[in-house]
Amino acid sequence: MLILGIETATEQVSCAIGGHEGVLGLFEVARGRRHAELLAPAIEFLCRQADVTLDEIGAIAVDTGPGLFTGMRVGIATAKAMAHALRVPVIPMTSLDLLALPLRHADRLIGAVIDARRGEVYHASYRQVPGGVQRVEGPAVGPVDDLVADLLATGEDALLVGDGALRYRERICAGARRVEFAEQWLAHPSAAPLVQLAHAKALREEWVQPSEVQPLYLRHPDAEINWATRESAR
Amino acid sequence: MITLRTTSVDETKAVAASVASLARPGDLIVLAGEMGAGKTAFAQGFAAGLGVLDPVTSPTFTLVHAYEGRLRVYHADLYRLERMAELADLALGELLDDDDAVVLVEWGDVVSAALGADLMTVRLEWVDTDEPDARLVSITATGDGWTARWPRVQSALAAWVAG
Repeated sequence: MLILGIETATEQVSCAIGGHEGVLGLFEVARGRRHAELLAPAIEFLCRQADVTLDEIGAIAVDTGPGLFTGMRVGIATAKAMAHALRVPVIPMTSLDLLALPLRHADRLIGAVIDARRGEVYHASYRQVPGGVQRVEGPAVGPVDDLVADLLATGEDALLVGDGALRYRERICAGARRVEFAEQWLAHPSAAPLVQLAHAKALREEWVQPSEVQPLYLRHPDAEINWATRESAR
Repeated sequence: MITLRTTSVDETKAVAASVASLARPGDLIVLAGEMGAGKTAFAQGFAAGLGVLDPVTSPTFTLVHAYEGRLRVYHADLYRLERMAELADLALGELLDDDDAVVLVEWGDVVSAALGADLMTVRLEWVDTDEPDARLVSITATGDGWTARWPRVQSALAAWVAG
């Protein structure tokens, strides 16, 4: 089965097609934050160059966060619309998992850290298991200093990956010494691990209907906004 | 807190333009007050103060409008939001951080805990029914960004301080 993967949860726009043969094609641009303009033409270009027609796509995988909503909206809306039109299911994936997977041969704790803006980060930690990685903490969101405290508390060597890790590198190093940082070219989730992980899920039919797809909210999404004063009269 | 008294819509807009002259990228300003109190009028004066030429209209139904002036201005209205997920979807923090913009949030006071520590709040209230266009404008601010500028804010608004 061929899977189309859509990744827009960070500054990078990425799409890929993959299946049991692996990744057939990957399109990725990190500069410019032009998710809305780039994504659809990128998917079209990718399919054409990989010689894949849309009716061959069996499922659409999409990164549903955590990440930047301004970009994530574009990918999620595109995935839902295409899946609805093609009558195929959607496989939602977690951004932080996609950062960790390429580092699965690292023999230590992996910390995936995505910049959440305003001094906060999205983070999760992983350990190597046969065939991949297993998430052991998170996903969570919070101030960078809390992440630093958590790293210190583990007392372990850690490999950090993600744009959040790089953005706050100095602050992290000042607080928790036993950390290394994966390079910038690994710092954004890519659609290549996205389609690989999604393919494994597709084989187990771990998918949802397009209408069920929504972003991963980490901050009490169902909490009601307190409009106690809204209807008060003059 | 600065407490001002304005006697007309134009005066409220002039106050807003004065605040705008001190605005910097990354500023988040909450506009609080009941319906009709002048939140959108304040936003119009603020945008004009930044040299925005396009008409500034209420974002009650469209949620967020964007304007280009000396700075980019995002003008949001939370009136129609019910759940925190809807606020997250607006990604106001991202607009502030990524676009070197100023963000005005009508009804932002109902979610102030979620808007962070660096924030100016402008509250608009009626004064009395004999003067329907008069307003009491209360301005407070928290965070390093505004603390450093506060003396300049006070002197820029001195002409309207409520006696």
